[in-house]
Amino acid sequence: MAWTLPRHIRDVAERGLDRQVRLAVTGLSRAGKTAFLTSLINQLRHAGLDAQLHLIKASREGRLLGAKRELQPDLSLARFPYDEALSSLGETPPRWPTPTRGMSELRLSIRYKSERPSKRLLGETSTLTLDLIDYPGEWLLDLPMLRQSFLDWSQTMNALLTPSRRTHMAEWLEAQSDLSPDQPADEQQLADLSAHYTEGLHRVRNNGGYFIQPGRFLLPGELAGAPVLQFFPLLSCADWSDEALEALPPESLYKTLKARFDHYLKTVITPFYRQHFQRFDRQVVLVDVLTALNSGPEAFDELRTTMEALMQSFSYGRAGLINRLFAPRIDKLAIAATKADHVTPDQHAALVELLTQLMNEPLNDLRFGDIESKAFALASIAATEARRLEEHDAQALSGTTLEGEHVLMFPGEVPSKLPDAAFWARQGFQFTGFRPRPHTEGPLPHLRMDALLDWLLGDKWQ
Amino acid sequence: MTDPKPPRRFEVPTESAKTAPQPIPSLATAQHFPLESVGARVEETPESDTRAERAVDDALSPPRKRRWGLMTLLSASLVIGGIQCGVQVYEAVIQNDPFSGLWAALGVFGAGLLARSGGKELLRLKRLRRHAKVRKRLENTPLDQPLLADTARHMRVSRDDPHWRSYQNAVNAHHDGDDIRTLFSHHLLGPRDRAASQLITRMSSETAAMVAISPITLLDMGLVAWRNMRMIDRLADIYGLELGYASRLRLYRHVLANLAFAGASEIAVDMGSELLGMNLAEKLSSRAAQGLGSGLMTARLGLRAQRLLRPLPFTRQEQPTLGHVRKALWQQLKRTDERRG
Ligand SMILES: Nc1nc2c(ncn2[C@@H]2O[C@H](COP(=O)(O)OP(=O)(O)O)[C@@H](O)[C@H]2O)c(=O)[nH]1
Repeated sequence: MAWTLPRHIRDVAERGLDRQVRLAVTGLSRAGKTAFLTSLINQLRHAGLDAQLHLIKASREGRLLGAKRELQPDLSLARFPYDEALSSLGETPPRWPTPTRGMSELRLSIRYKSERPSKRLLGETSTLTLDLIDYPGEWLLDLPMLRQSFLDWSQTMNALLTPSRRTHMAEWLEAQSDLSPDQPADEQQLADLSAHYTEGLHRVRNNGGYFIQPGRFLLPGELAGAPVLQFFPLLSCADWSDEALEALPPESLYKTLKARFDHYLKTVITPFYRQHFQRFDRQVVLVDVLTALNSGPEAFDELRTTMEALMQSFSYGRAGLINRLFAPRIDKLAIAATKADHVTPDQHAALVELLTQLMNEPLNDLRFGDIESKAFALASIAATEARRLEEHDAQALSGTTLEGEHVLMFPGEVPSKLPDAAFWARQGFQFTGFRPRPHTEGPLPHLRMDALLDWLLGDKWQ
Repeated sequence: MTDPKPPRRFEVPTESAKTAPQPIPSLATAQHFPLESVGARVEETPESDTRAERAVDDALSPPRKRRWGLMTLLSASLVIGGIQCGVQVYEAVIQNDPFSGLWAALGVFGAGLLARSGGKELLRLKRLRRHAKVRKRLENTPLDQPLLADTARHMRVSRDDPHWRSYQNAVNAHHDGDDIRTLFSHHLLGPRDRAASQLITRMSSETAAMVAISPITLLDMGLVAWRNMRMIDRLADIYGLELGYASRLRLYRHVLANLAFAGASEIAVDMGSELLGMNLAEKLSSRAAQGLGSGLMTARLGLRAQRLLRPLPFTRQEQPTLGHVRKALWQQLKRTDERRG
């Protein structure tokens, strides 16, 4: 802990001068974090030259002069692979950037002219240091675990086993069925069972599930294979009384799993919040509403409960768990529905509305905790172009599908309320994956990235 | 979401995929405004109105009733007069009477001139009426691009105007009502707002200086009224409007009357409150104080006129205030005062 202290102090000093912001970007996997950050860095690097950032006030007024990359301060974090991402977009045919796994960081220094004459006197231009941090939203799902004991957690996981989850988890369910809490723990058996459990989680995730705990199991990063990630809920605990479980010897299966669970909380979850989360100033949460809408009612409902759990990390109200455990300081939070280029422009308002409805409860909590929040619909890298078809009196999208076919389509209407049974019965929405448009140089095409940036950082380059 | 439109695919027009379906030129209708609409409307008149300000309102709003009777009378007599003169010219030619012929020709010419300015006046009145309509529409319907293109036309911004072109360059099909309001304000109204503010500051500080050095009170009343008129005229020009004689006459009468009769006391009241905002440690001579009063008056009128002439209402952040003008005024006056010793 001691080595973080100077860093904290420096943070405070630089923040006092208002010259440094740590902007964190998160979202469940496949929500579009990598694409978002690639586009964000790209737009800012083209600011002041040819970027299309008309909705940023400073850019409109010609005060945004440009941005360049700096050496990142935290040498133990991976660097965000911007160059790799950009070059994969430049291939023929263009390819979406490879998703990042785990946490990565990139520092930009942005030059701008201040609006205030007093500041302008001090120097011709000012510089804002922007630290961009990308981390998986799954990690935030672990927060509720901090409040639970291993026993509680096992019961919660048991309750979560819906019939469809049971089929994905069948192998693990089968293998753990004859386990008893009092049997002695066998290292190899634990490793095998954990592998089954992790595979099951992957299958759940790949089949439209969103709520995955423990979050680090899917994206273990440098922890892959370490015993701290080798545990799983012990379903047979349910038949035992608390006292009997407590009385078990330390080598018993129950006690071993419990020790690993506690270790996970202490060495994986808590440090993330302490060393990283606590230091974020602004946050973007990306939500892929359209894919969920496409997958059907079950996925959509799960997305909703998952987002609710995820947002607990931002609920700073007095009763919020996060506030009791840590001292977070995020003051602005943007929630963005990504991939808005999959729907025609006339549907964007409905998409924002749907997102707001989806996040209704968490958003109320935020307001309670004095965090400013706003919902957006955006496309980090617009893969389609909107067209107007006069003969049909309709808007349509023109783009190239992932398979390489050029299509002109109307993907259906986005409901502006949480979809009801009637909507699902008609299944009025058709989501097609698009290939990014060929890109050589110049800024990447985007939708409303500028609106988000202006809201999120506009006060910093006043 | 009673009946969502189903997804559908369209034929990709071969070859000319780029040409056949047009890129969307404009936004579709009805836009939802996002959670916190940024552009809060400015409430009408934060300060209490002075009578002169009400005069500006009056002159810049189109006449409520059309005087059909008066108009018929005037135009009919013009036509008859014109015809009569024409007939006289004809007769003079036949009777070989050069003088009466020339007089009559002059009469025809005069009637033509009158008819022309009458026509112009009607046109200006019509534009004023349209201005009111445009403002109302902008306030009551969600903004979209055709509406703003219409507004720009009304403001006499040509298609080649650099401001219009930079606006066109910035807007995009996915921008919602608030976005295009921002962009329109920035690209088209921004430069005009700045010109208007400069004009108001300049005119009011000049007026203040003139009053401060002029020796006769009555003279400067007239002077102030005349300068105020000129200022409002030029403000109208900045926003692409032209005041007709009727508006001008009404304005002139009101401003003059207000300045002459109610003006003195109002200026005193005004000055009292405005002076509080300034550095009272420095004293002004009484002439300079009078100058300051008239300067502030001019500035208030100017700001009021600007607010009425601008097609889109100001948002709270954009709204220019008396504070900006005050500083310039104060400096100007101190300079003149020092020069007079
Ligand atoms: N059309 C479109 N697709 C996107 C966009 N952003 C992301 N995607 C798609 O979503 C996939 C996952 O995005 P990625 O950034 O890798 O997600 P991550 O796992 O959160 O980093 C990409 O491979 C794209 O197919 C976007 O702005 N437009």
